[in-house]
Amino acid sequence: MYCILTHGGEFLNELEILTLTPLFAGLLLLLIYEVVPSSTKKQAVDLIKYANMGIAVLLFGLATQIGLENDWLSTWSSGSFGAQGSYLLESEYTSLISSIGVNWHVGIDALSYPMIWLTTLLIPISMLVQWDADKGAQFHSLILLMEGALLGVFAVLDLFLFYVYWELTLVPMFFLILVWGGEDRRYAAMKFFIYTFAASILMLIGILIVYFHSAPVSGISGTLTHHHFDIPLLMQQSSLIGSAGLRTVVFLLMLVGFATKMPSVPVHTWLPDAHVQAPTAGSMLLAGVMLKMGAYGFLRVAVSLFPQETITMIPLLIFLGMASLFYGAWVCLGQTNLKRMVAYSSVSHMGLIFLGIATMQPLGIAGALFMMFAHGIISPLLFAVCGSFKHHYHTLEIGSMRGLAHHSPFMAGHMMLGWMASLGLPLMAGFVAEVAIMIAFWMTFGWWVLIPALTLILTAAYYLWSMQRTIFESGDPHHGILPDTMHDEKPRDITWHENAGMFILGGLTILFGILPALFFEMMSNWSTGLVSEIMIDALTTLGVTP
Amino acid sequence: MNIESPLLAHPLLVESLRPEMTIIVGILLLIIVPNLGNATVRIPMTQFRIPVFLGGERFRATSDPLIPGVISMFTLILAMASSLMTFVEGAALSTVCISANGAIQQGCTGSDYILRSDAFSRIFTSIFSFALLIGTAAMINRMPARVDAKAPHPDSSDSLKARAIRVLLNNRRQGDFHLLILFVALGMNIVALSTNLFLLFVGLELASLAIYVLVAFMKEETTSGEAATKYFLTGSVASAVTLYGMSLLYIWSGSASDYASATLNLTGPQGLAATWAAMETLEPLAAIGFGMLLVGFGFKVSAVPFHFAAPDAYSGTSSPMASILATASKAMGFTALLRVLVVMAGPELGSQAFWLPLLGLLSVVTMTWGNLAALSTENPKRMLAYSSVAHAGYLLAALAALGSGLASESTNEVLITAIVFHLLVLAFFKSGAFLILTMTEIRGDSSSMESLYGLGRRDPIIAVSMFVFMLALAGVPPLSGFLSKFLVIDGIISASTGSGSISAAGAMDWLSSVHWVFWLAVSMALNSALSLFYYLRVGQVMFFEKSKSILPLPDAPMIRITVILCLILTVISGLGPFSQTLVDMATMAAQHLLKV
Repeated sequence: MYCILTHGGEFLNELEILTLTPLFAGLLLLLIYEVVPSSTKKQAVDLIKYANMGIAVLLFGLATQIGLENDWLSTWSSGSFGAQGSYLLESEYTSLISSIGVNWHVGIDALSYPMIWLTTLLIPISMLVQWDADKGAQFHSLILLMEGALLGVFAVLDLFLFYVYWELTLVPMFFLILVWGGEDRRYAAMKFFIYTFAASILMLIGILIVYFHSAPVSGISGTLTHHHFDIPLLMQQSSLIGSAGLRTVVFLLMLVGFATKMPSVPVHTWLPDAHVQAPTAGSMLLAGVMLKMGAYGFLRVAVSLFPQETITMIPLLIFLGMASLFYGAWVCLGQTNLKRMVAYSSVSHMGLIFLGIATMQPLGIAGALFMMFAHGIISPLLFAVCGSFKHHYHTLEIGSMRGLAHHSPFMAGHMMLGWMASLGLPLMAGFVAEVAIMIAFWMTFGWWVLIPALTLILTAAYYLWSMQRTIFESGDPHHGILPDTMHDEKPRDITWHENAGMFILGGLTILFGILPALFFEMMSNWSTGLVSEIMIDALTTLGVTP
Repeated sequence: MNIESPLLAHPLLVESLRPEMTIIVGILLLIIVPNLGNATVRIPMTQFRIPVFLGGERFRATSDPLIPGVISMFTLILAMASSLMTFVEGAALSTVCISANGAIQQGCTGSDYILRSDAFSRIFTSIFSFALLIGTAAMINRMPARVDAKAPHPDSSDSLKARAIRVLLNNRRQGDFHLLILFVALGMNIVALSTNLFLLFVGLELASLAIYVLVAFMKEETTSGEAATKYFLTGSVASAVTLYGMSLLYIWSGSASDYASATLNLTGPQGLAATWAAMETLEPLAAIGFGMLLVGFGFKVSAVPFHFAAPDAYSGTSSPMASILATASKAMGFTALLRVLVVMAGPELGSQAFWLPLLGLLSVVTMTWGNLAALSTENPKRMLAYSSVAHAGYLLAALAALGSGLASESTNEVLITAIVFHLLVLAFFKSGAFLILTMTEIRGDSSSMESLYGLGRRDPIIAVSMFVFMLALAGVPPLSGFLSKFLVIDGIISASTGSGSISAAGAMDWLSSVHWVFWLAVSMALNSALSLFYYLRVGQVMFFEKSKSILPLPDAPMIRITVILCLILTVISGLGPFSQTLVDMATMAAQHLLKV
């Protein structure tokens, strides 16, 4: 800790403050709650909740300020792509475990900044939406801990730390599901943890193989092992692994790990259970940020280190993308549980990301990045709606509650906005991403684009169908049909917390639908850099003229 | 410098053997101090009595039952400190050798010597002292000595009478216990220092015999007698086999020159190492002798199939003794193994040692057996015993990589560093885990997982410490258990991947061309993943099950302080400057071992 704080002289830069604060603050607040004497515990809960929210909002401000200070990352790229020194707010190397070459090295670029901004945005909103959760002190502190782990994943440039933070994100989510979840929460939490943990082990094996092939760099690689974990340096060392077969194996291992997180069919089965049983804030974070970790990791680690294999495996990527897109949408048509339907729609949308990457066009890859970002704003909105639905109507069955618009107009309004945004209505963020990917797909593959484009019709189908049955269709012009679970309770509209959170998310969806350039600019910079520097080299090595 | 002078007068003696001198002084103090009294001896043919202070009615101040504990703890602390001084002074200054004819020499150069104090010996003596210190500290609360002990009142209840008698017994046992601990320390130190097989055996036996008694020490509990008997019988047979193996090696070393040069010295121009290197084809006498040595040392490190007494011994004896068995005794076994395997029978670069297939097989079976057995047991002490077996398997895998002859000098160094570092940090968290079990043992029962149920509510700090120790044992980063496992895996992979052909087009081709030692690393990784289950199960029962007992854990201040100390050491030895210091010390030890 002392080394990190002093850095050999310099104090922490803003990125490190951003990354390290939530982890330690969340832990501290959890400990404070445990240590406080039981007579004052009730007052302590409120204080801790406000402290958590305050820290989360401050971190959002810090993240936005980082962007504003640096010209919104539109002129950051200097030097060669992905190399040392080309990252914004890149920290010094601080050796953490010098015998094996683990260093604290963080930096952001246009790939990670949108994700960081998204995380700092979603944390206070999810805290707001579930402000009145049981055991509030522990709940909100766990969410702050989650933020720390997530920001770590996106900020670090050292593969070992990346893996540690990757696994660390599982821990708060596991507890969130286990303690605050639905009826089947033990099963869902265990399945979530073990499934994703096992897949990450495969990713770890891939990382280790890369590690053992890294060339020694003085001061950074291990003093005993002479290898290092540093991503920028690994990118510099072209022809990292001599044998093509081994490279393919490593790429596939990493692909399995990242595809499970995204999730992609066929390794997606942990998601529906985890989502249905998770509390609202947990689902919002899971869908909003955690799933994006998979796509981020794929681009940061697998694609950047193994561009040739990415190109060779394009058919596989297209298969996975199409399978997720189609299967996710098809299964949604048959769902009767609202949250499960939204979960499968997440699977479906994440399939588009693989399709975007497979196009190998700057527009397509930027579209994939924007899909990560847009989905990260829209799906928390969807899950907030589901959560408030469950909260107020005690059921998640589609069609058990009809005529929602009569009784909860605000909830119905947010539901409609969110549903429309998710199916890709123009003027909202989802449309921008989808259209970019489709255009790029056309540029690379021509008329094959009809297949994913027509699958999008399925998306519209299930969303409209569920909306019709829930918001409308009560048969009675003045009343809705209440579900049995309500018994004699009067239906209410959503609380102001939930309303505020959903308004913010809905507003941002429209904002980014109208002004996507706010983030699209930096994303296309990054993808242009990726394609023109890394991919072109890979293509020429493979002997294909680009 | 080759100074021949009477050994006991030599200035270097105290400097190089300071820890052992400390322990001997401690032993003498422990014998004398509690027995100081007002005895007098009458001069013959007179009525004059002179006081000799040993015996008679003991003085109140020095016969305090707390004193033996204090003396032994101070002795062990001083011994550990003086062992660690080696690393402060610097490597060149610290290597001192003592030979059989009393010559003591600094910076040993190839002559016959039987004792060698260098970084390798000193890091192990530090480990032994630390582990014994922790066991002693735990015993202070487990077998508490109380100054206010009195005979029970005849009218009091049975349970009060039983408690009073227990306190009196504990008071009487203090001197015995702590004396035996110091003998164990002395014996282990001799093992670490010796480069002569016979002297090694002497030290080994001194430590082992004392340990057998210590395992049986808490005689109120029926399990400890059974545990000690099993351990003693198995251990005696193992020692006998070791001695026989040593005698075979003795004969073999002298057979070429009509027994004039028969010796049990490992080093030196006519030592066993030299004779072994000069051996062209493997002679049966040497192989059998060596194999028997492996049996004996295998028992000590609880390798399969010599481990059968270990689970019963660990679970039957008191937890502090179990922690000493798991940490110090295992380290002692590995010291002996390292000396014999690396110094005597180590292969040259490019050629494979004959014991490689055997050791490879042994390591895989040991780690798998240990992990599978730990999965199925309901007794936490037994689980920790089997986890010790599994850890021994991991270290044996590193030794196997050493024997493959594929590794370069620097990779050999990494492997030995990994083994030493692993034994060092094992002392931190394994002792910590046994210490927490001591606390549940004081409350009555530690032989069932139910004693850990709901510990998270009863005592959150202890429960969190236990969880951290379990994670460290499993090898979760960033704790120290991960670093040592990673270094072992790195060593094995660096050693073996050189053998895989670079031109292999596909992964399957490459995998079939690599030396089979590579699969030891894979086996280690799989076993680590497997072991995660039973380590996490402890965490699960502590935090998610309802407690079976409403009593809080005992106050036991000494144990609590030691647990927190172990916790802090476990965490800071994972990453950061302290960890780097420990790794550097282990590297120095490895260098000294390899230079012999």
